[in-house]
Amino acid sequence: MFFHIVLERNMQLHPRHFGRDLREKLVSKLMKDVEGTCSGRHGFIVAITGIESVGKGLIRDGTGFVTFPVKYQCVVFRPFKGEILEAVVTMVNKMGFFAEAGPVQIFVSNHLIPDDMEFQSGDVPNYTTSDGSVKIQKESEVRLKIIGTRVDATEIFCIGTIKDDFLGVISDPGANA
Amino acid sequence: MSIEPFNRLVKLAARAFYDDITTKGDNQPKSGRSDNRGIAVVILDALTRRQWVREEDLAKDLKLHTKQLRRTLRFFEEEKLITRDHRKEGAKGAKVYNAAVAATVDVLQNGKEGDDKIKMHTHSYCCLDYSQIFDVVRYRLHRMKKKLRDELDNKNTVQEYICPNCGKRYTALDALRLVSPEDEYFHCESCNGELVAESDKLSSQGTVDGDDKDRRRRREKLEDMLHRMEAQLKPLMDQLNRVKDLPAPEFGSLQAWEVRANAVARGANGDNANDPSKSGQGFGGTPMPFVGETKVEVAFSGLEEKGDIKSEISATPMKVLPPWMIKEGMNLTKEQRGEVKQESNMEGTSAAAGSSDDKKSIETEDVKNIKDEYVKAYYEALFKRQREQEEATKSLQEPSTTDGVDNTSTERHVGMKSKREEEDEGEDIEWEEAPPAGDNTTGNFKVDLNVLADASGDDNDEEDDIDWEEG
Repeated sequence: MFFHIVLERNMQLHPRHFGRDLREKLVSKLMKDVEGTCSGRHGFIVAITGIESVGKGLIRDGTGFVTFPVKYQCVVFRPFKGEILEAVVTMVNKMGFFAEAGPVQIFVSNHLIPDDMEFQSGDVPNYTTSDGSVKIQKESEVRLKIIGTRVDATEIFCIGTIKDDFLGVISDPGANA
Repeated sequence: MSIEPFNRLVKLAARAFYDDITTKGDNQPKSGRSDNRGIAVVILDALTRRQWVREEDLAKDLKLHTKQLRRTLRFFEEEKLITRDHRKEGAKGAKVYNAAVAATVDVLQNGKEGDDKIKMHTHSYCCLDYSQIFDVVRYRLHRMKKKLRDELDNKNTVQEYICPNCGKRYTALDALRLVSPEDEYFHCESCNGELVAESDKLSSQGTVDGDDKDRRRRREKLEDMLHRMEAQLKPLMDQLNRVKDLPAPEFGSLQAWEVRANAVARGANGDNANDPSKSGQGFGGTPMPFVGETKVEVAFSGLEEKGDIKSEISATPMKVLPPWMIKEGMNLTKEQRGEVKQESNMEGTSAAAGSSDDKKSIETEDVKNIKDEYVKAYYEALFKRQREQEEATKSLQEPSTTDGVDNTSTERHVGMKSKREEEDEGEDIEWEEAPPAGDNTTGNFKVDLNVLADASGDDNDEEDDIDWEEG
């Protein structure tokens, strides 16, 4: 789920950036530092949408670096248990398959794949129904439901299921080539 | 508000879920010897027959050790089946409470007043929380079913993996770390062994066929379990449905309950049978358990009925009476036969008077209404005695009136008391035995008076003094 929230961060700026475009430098550094990171509390920081305020800088003794407390608006992505996501399959093996929904990795174990789909090893490992009409392989897009999340300080990992109504492959990129 | 369906629910739930609960911790090696499984059911059943009950009394009734009972009760409290209340009461408060022939509230308040001076003891009370029990049982059933259903559908279950070499376990949440670049299997982090899904560990090889078979077997087992659960818990579920639309019996907090119980008792007093109710409570020590709803219903019916119930109810409490009480009663009796009763009653009334004057007035009114021959005889005897006494008659005048009141009440007891005596053993009679004695004295009174005229007079004075202090 996506959220638009305000976060705060203390930015350290090198003295060489002090000048007319200090503020721009500060913002670009903030984006470079923050975007794409993941915190267990808020989830993945997808994009910074604006700067709320920049506080007074504090010069550090000895280094000359200046610390600015910056408040910024950003879009975060935080997966939740029970959430339905669309994801791209990245790897298929006997134990199940891995998929990615943006920054988050999701594992679907073979017990949570419908019983009528069976694992086919080979050049392109995949899960296929007995009639071959549905196939899950690398690059497939699947709709899945998150049934568990493991949230670490800097990492979020999910497990999902496609064993439910309206879940499963939503398009087959290879077109059964 | 019928309590019966709820009691049935409690009993069913107790047998279904708390049958094999042992209160002994696993770390206690003794538990093997004293296996107390099933005690939980006994306690719950006992609680269905009571409302608020002092835990010591419950322990005595059940012939359990208080510690053991407490442990079980704490467990039930955690299970949200009962509510408990702890409060400090002075030893004297408890005594007065046991002894006094007055409504609970008054006595209690009296006890509390005294608490400042005397040593305090914390007493615990417990009571079933029916509405919560209803919810707890429903929730428990729901969780059980949901768990089995989920297992059955393989829904929402986090797959577990186990390393056959070192026995280390992983969940699907660890999958990212376990996947190896070389092959398509998960590998153990510590020994690099190939992991197997936990449900597969029985099957020799994790082939797809074996997997399926295993899965089917597990499924059958789960289905079987679900069916059995539904069959076995059917009575409980039926009872839940039956109880669903009924208002759950609500006793409120201990204080509220007491107040209400006493209000009911007083209402009964207003009718006529004030003494019985009082005596019952006084006898019980803790009036809690015995002011049960039976009493509530019957309270307004005739005196006779009331008496019966009282005797029934008080049968249990009488055993509870602590030995020191008996002693006190005995001493008094030895000192002066006729007076004993009066004294006890004086205490009671004085307590009542101390806390609420209006109550007393009501009492007196009642008494006057109820006046019967006994009373008259007693009055006469009193007056005679008083005249005989060397002490100043005036000083005795006041006490005499109060005495009269008290005595009337005692006489009311008499009827019931006699019943009680028939039922119970002499041992129980400690305090209240006095009343019968008093009655006898009405017969013997003059004799007594003649013999002990001076002494009794003095005693009267003393008693009065005491009363005033208490008041």
